[in-house]
Amino acid sequence: MSENNEKKVHGVVAEYTSVDTLLNACRRVRDAGYEKTDAFTPFPVHGIDKALGIKPTVLPWIVLGAGVTGTVTALVMQIWMNSIDYPYIISGKPFLSLPAFMPVAFELTVLFASFGAFFGMWALNGLPKFSNPIFTDPRFDRVTDDRFFLYIDAKDGQFDRGGVEKLLGDTETDYVQTVVDDDSSDKVPKPFFMMWGLVVGLSVIPLLVVLKMRVSHSSQPRFHVFYDMDFSPAKDAQQYSTLFRDGRAMRPDVPGTVARGEEQANLNYMTGIDMEALTAIDPSRAERLVRRLNPYFQSEVESAQEPNTDTEKSSTDEPSQGDPEKNPAAAGDTGPEKAKASQADASDTAPAAAKPSVMETTPWLDSNPLVLNEKVLADGRKNFGIYCSVCHGMNGSGNGLVNVRAQKIMSPDWIQPSSLHQETLYADKYPAGKLFSTISNGIRKMPGYAGQIKTRDRWAIVAYVRALQLSRNASIEQFKDIDEPEQAKILKEQADAKKALQEKADADAKAAKKALQEKADADAKAAKEKTDADAAKASS
Amino acid sequence: MSLAIPNGLDNTVEQPGERAPLVLGDTTYHDITEAVCQVAERKPSTSWVIGFLISFALLQWLTICILYLIYTGVGVWGNRSPVFWGWPIVNFVFWVGIGHAGTLISAILFLFRQEWRTSINRAAEAMTIFAVVCAGTFPGIHVGRAWLAFWLAPYPSLNLWMWPQFRSPLLWDVFAVSTYGTVSLLFWYMGMVPDLATFRDRSVNKWRRMAYGVLSLGWSGSSRHWMRYEKAYALLAAFAAPLVLSVHTIVSFDFAVSQVPGWHTTIFPPYFVAGAIFSGFAMVLTLMIPARKMLGLENLITIRHLDNMCKIILATGSIVGLAYGTEFFIAWYGQVQEEMFAFTNRAFGPYWWAYWTMVTCNVISPQVFWFKKIRTTPWMIVTVCIFVNIGMWFERFVIVVTSLSRDYLPSAWAYFSPTWVDWSMLIGSFGLFFTLFLLFCRLMPVINMAETKATLAKQYHVSNDGDH
Amino acid sequence: MSEHNAPAPKSSDDPAFTLPASLAALRLPLCVGGLIVMLFGWWLASDIGDHGDNFGMSVYLTAAVYCMTIVLGCLFFVLIQHLVRAGWSIVVRRIAELVMVMVIPMGILFIPVLASLWTGEGTLYSWDNPEYAIEHGLPLDVWQEKLRWLNQGWFTVRTIGYFAVWSALALFFFKNSVRQDKTGEKAITDKMQYWSGPAVMLFSLTTTFAAFDWVMSLAPMWFSTMFGVYLFAGSILGAHCLLAVVSYVLQKQGALRDEVTVEHYHDLGKLIFGFVFFWTYISFSQFLLIWYGNIPEETEWFYVRQIGSWGYVALALIFFHWMLPFAGTMSRHVRRRPGLVCAWGAYLLIMHYVDVYFMIMPTVEDGNVGGVMGVVASILCVVGMAGLLSGLCLGLAQQNKVVAVRDPRLGESVAFENF
Repeated sequence: MSENNEKKVHGVVAEYTSVDTLLNACRRVRDAGYEKTDAFTPFPVHGIDKALGIKPTVLPWIVLGAGVTGTVTALVMQIWMNSIDYPYIISGKPFLSLPAFMPVAFELTVLFASFGAFFGMWALNGLPKFSNPIFTDPRFDRVTDDRFFLYIDAKDGQFDRGGVEKLLGDTETDYVQTVVDDDSSDKVPKPFFMMWGLVVGLSVIPLLVVLKMRVSHSSQPRFHVFYDMDFSPAKDAQQYSTLFRDGRAMRPDVPGTVARGEEQANLNYMTGIDMEALTAIDPSRAERLVRRLNPYFQSEVESAQEPNTDTEKSSTDEPSQGDPEKNPAAAGDTGPEKAKASQADASDTAPAAAKPSVMETTPWLDSNPLVLNEKVLADGRKNFGIYCSVCHGMNGSGNGLVNVRAQKIMSPDWIQPSSLHQETLYADKYPAGKLFSTISNGIRKMPGYAGQIKTRDRWAIVAYVRALQLSRNASIEQFKDIDEPEQAKILKEQADAKKALQEKADADAKAAKKALQEKADADAKAAKEKTDADAAKASS
Repeated sequence: MSLAIPNGLDNTVEQPGERAPLVLGDTTYHDITEAVCQVAERKPSTSWVIGFLISFALLQWLTICILYLIYTGVGVWGNRSPVFWGWPIVNFVFWVGIGHAGTLISAILFLFRQEWRTSINRAAEAMTIFAVVCAGTFPGIHVGRAWLAFWLAPYPSLNLWMWPQFRSPLLWDVFAVSTYGTVSLLFWYMGMVPDLATFRDRSVNKWRRMAYGVLSLGWSGSSRHWMRYEKAYALLAAFAAPLVLSVHTIVSFDFAVSQVPGWHTTIFPPYFVAGAIFSGFAMVLTLMIPARKMLGLENLITIRHLDNMCKIILATGSIVGLAYGTEFFIAWYGQVQEEMFAFTNRAFGPYWWAYWTMVTCNVISPQVFWFKKIRTTPWMIVTVCIFVNIGMWFERFVIVVTSLSRDYLPSAWAYFSPTWVDWSMLIGSFGLFFTLFLLFCRLMPVINMAETKATLAKQYHVSNDGDH
Repeated sequence: MSEHNAPAPKSSDDPAFTLPASLAALRLPLCVGGLIVMLFGWWLASDIGDHGDNFGMSVYLTAAVYCMTIVLGCLFFVLIQHLVRAGWSIVVRRIAELVMVMVIPMGILFIPVLASLWTGEGTLYSWDNPEYAIEHGLPLDVWQEKLRWLNQGWFTVRTIGYFAVWSALALFFFKNSVRQDKTGEKAITDKMQYWSGPAVMLFSLTTTFAAFDWVMSLAPMWFSTMFGVYLFAGSILGAHCLLAVVSYVLQKQGALRDEVTVEHYHDLGKLIFGFVFFWTYISFSQFLLIWYGNIPEETEWFYVRQIGSWGYVALALIFFHWMLPFAGTMSRHVRRRPGLVCAWGAYLLIMHYVDVYFMIMPTVEDGNVGGVMGVVASILCVVGMAGLLSGLCLGLAQQNKVVAVRDPRLGESVAFENF
């Protein structure tokens, strides 16, 4: 057949109708020394490996390797994830629970081994391989039905077309054919690539969208398909609530509430006031304080004082949100002020200035009831930093961040927080107890912090404020323990620093003055030029 | 083209010293090809169309119910305190169990060199895959926030910042069922490649040829390929066999590792596996008996095949019965009050009707398979098998619901009732299963032609008395 | 199964089918020697420590249960081969049949165990001791209920019942198989196949309860529904190992040279591998469930078996009863070498003893296993008992053929090939 001579010869194939005839032919071919042979059958034929001399495969080793990889992967994964990286207790089981890790280890062994078997087998077989010259003969279609084929490849060393055709012809076959390529194109049709290109292109789009959204910003909340409890109906602090008459979502403490750990019997400690002295000066106020701060004493005091304190008692006992003027117990953080106001209202005699304020007459504690040590000071510093420094500044000068911001936005009704370094706040004029009371109850625009800072910590803050004050106005004489040379050294450092500051200030002032002078000269010059120009104009 | 059974040939009788023929009639290799291919090549029969429409409708109903569930929440089911695992888990275990028969037929019978498996293993494997699909749906949707089910996977999560909890049997389940589904799929597909090549070579339509051509990976029937293929097949079977054991064992661990009375018994692993095989074979028979008749495959799926499967049902049913007895005895022997109560409660408590259904269907009904007459009459087999499946569903129901509805604290006891969504999903899952199965019958080779031809070859060899 | 290797069929009188003389000569020495060694081991054990009687009986029970599991495993092997109409196993089935008949001598060997119930109080089984519950502060109502099952009378009746059933089964299948040697009737095979189904059911029931009675009740407050299966798993593994070893020994001495081929060893190797895996699966599942549930009444059994030296035994079981044989018998190349299969079989028979020892010995009073002397005594006792039974078995083998010579499937079995 002349046309076949032009095409490449891949080999020769012969067709058989039964297993036995095929096997006989295979043995003959094997015995004749041909190695690059293959048989094609609709089902696996028992004994054909031996008949053709096919060697066993390495697949079992691949599968073993894959299986062992699976075991190791599973164990390492579980041990890493549950015992090392994020260990947490589950019903008392140890972090490294090997019995519990076995099931997953087994499953992954099987999974990996199966992948090894499946993909390894196809890989070793060289499949998928859609183009195979042996498919060119339509008679070959029966290989998956009921015919058997024996093939000798042209690449075999002994291959000689005539000889092979004769050898095969001698076996029990009716059909021997040379295997050549057919006329079909061996290029992949373009539409195939176009389709794949389209699929790949389209599939990239969602990815790009996601990537873009990950790096870009939006002022709108993220699009939610599933709300996932992201929009909780629970109220935030400072929000309005229709459930209460006063409209607040945050509810104040029930009057008489004492925080756990704050049930102190020592009222001096809790108020900063020498209660004995206060009882002597102003027994009714002392009694109110006692009742407010220590509900255990309430009944005793009530029964003793009943006839005299009707109005006050009724107003104190009712935990209503009514008139804070009449209820000094409820309005704790404005206590002294309101007490002062009510005192002022009650008195109809001389103007307030003539009568000393409660703040002045109260017998405050002079000294800090805490034993001062490094820990107390450290706690004081920590709490000062948390609660106080936002307004008063880290150094207590009153220029905290809130103040900076208020100045920047030029807030109309902002008053700068007090500097703690004013003389009026020094220990001799502003006793420790008074300072404590201010921290607890607030003053002017400052809110009271009794609800946020524990009593002991408030005293610690008092101690720290004293330390801050000392940092600005201590004189060397107060440090009796420092010896002479040290004192002199410190004094000298102070003097030098002061001098340097002074010199810098002078230099700045001089530079500013010079700049001003230059500007004045420049202005004068410009003015003169102008008048000259005008004059020249006028004259021309 | 139907292969009618020649009169008088009964291959259920096997003389010692001879082996009964497994392929009947004067069947040739070509006859096998024709018989199997025509199922997919001819126009669908009326019964197929009707079956498909019904299944598809049920499938749509299931889809709607699932969407409703995801939209509204898990409360649409009957799951309430204390029965937090209700029908979803019962259905899950039920379907996973059914899937096990396929792998057993493919893998374990292969390892035991049981030739008769060759004509049923393809359909059984397909059944496994579809059962696993049905099974996997339920845990996926019962987690409450199904769209976050991927959190179960061990990936480095940037918003959770934590890993899955490997000390939980529920996570072992994730790995086990996924592995099982994957390996079954690989095994099934690999087995189909030579037969898909047959479909390819017989295709007249160009698109059909291309589709089957791609799916069959260019398979040419090369003996060198067959050699590696056989090795891979044997290795996969060797792995699939313990996998079958392990999957339902791990499912049983969901219950047995707890302390709930009636759940915490050490025999659960082999008992569940036996039960799974039991229900799986019952489902195989329920599908196969009508299929072989309607598709004209009675010479390939012979009475002997049915007989053998019935014997396996009898054996595994007896194991399940033995397990029931052992549990009951040990509950008494252990003298733990809650455990003893759990068992008396099952039999005489509010769910007594479920318990006795279970016992009748699981322990008593398969015992009829001692009688050969019943084992070899197809309609009787189907009846018993349907009872077995009902019984096995009730077994999971009894285990889950009775133990949970009454455990340690009497103050927590409550009676569980399913909702219409529970019912719908159970029935709908059958729709999913049958839709997939009917599609499989139309599109894929329903019998493993290559292996059946190999069985036939052996038969030729034996009857020719070995001429070399 | 191709037959291109089929040898010419031999006559039934062929010497390849009879017990070789070298082995026949060992009958009496094994019987007598085995008995002496067993009694010596038992006596040695009874002499140890304060609770010698308890220790001695425990050692004896370990040996008896070990031998019993092998014998029962062989019985199950025979039943299952008939049930599934297996063709490959005909050539080794007779060996299993000969061993399974040993259930009758085992019944006699079990008499001391029963005697310990009737003579002593709690010598072996603590539930036999009326003071036990009070001494150990156990809830008396629970104890009383349990005693309805665990009392010497009912226990004895049950034990006799188990042996009656097993003996009946063993004798039925043995006698029929031997009769077929003479007549070659196919109807005998049909009969044995027919009765194998009910036989397996009876076997399962009796073995399960025997395991509960003889071994699980050593810890009377403990229970595990899996226990019967656990004992069975070791038992079936031991049986297959024994078949491999005995086939090899027979072949080495000249019998069955052409009948038991490398294909049979391959199958036995596969089954040994499979049952190692099965044993591992069962014992691990039992352990995992009890460990995970962490209920004190259940964990006590494993707890006792992991403290002190018992922990090492447990580890030994994990490494040497699971991992090593699993890896060792995995390869096709190992399975197709009869010598290696025999070696693994012998190894696993030893490990099976370690398993039975691990099940029983931790329950001795005071947990004192008598150190080296105790272990030596245990080994002597089991070796002696096994020797005695081997001798009896050889005696039986000498009177019969070592293979089912006229089984209709013998040809198929000899010729079969693995893939």
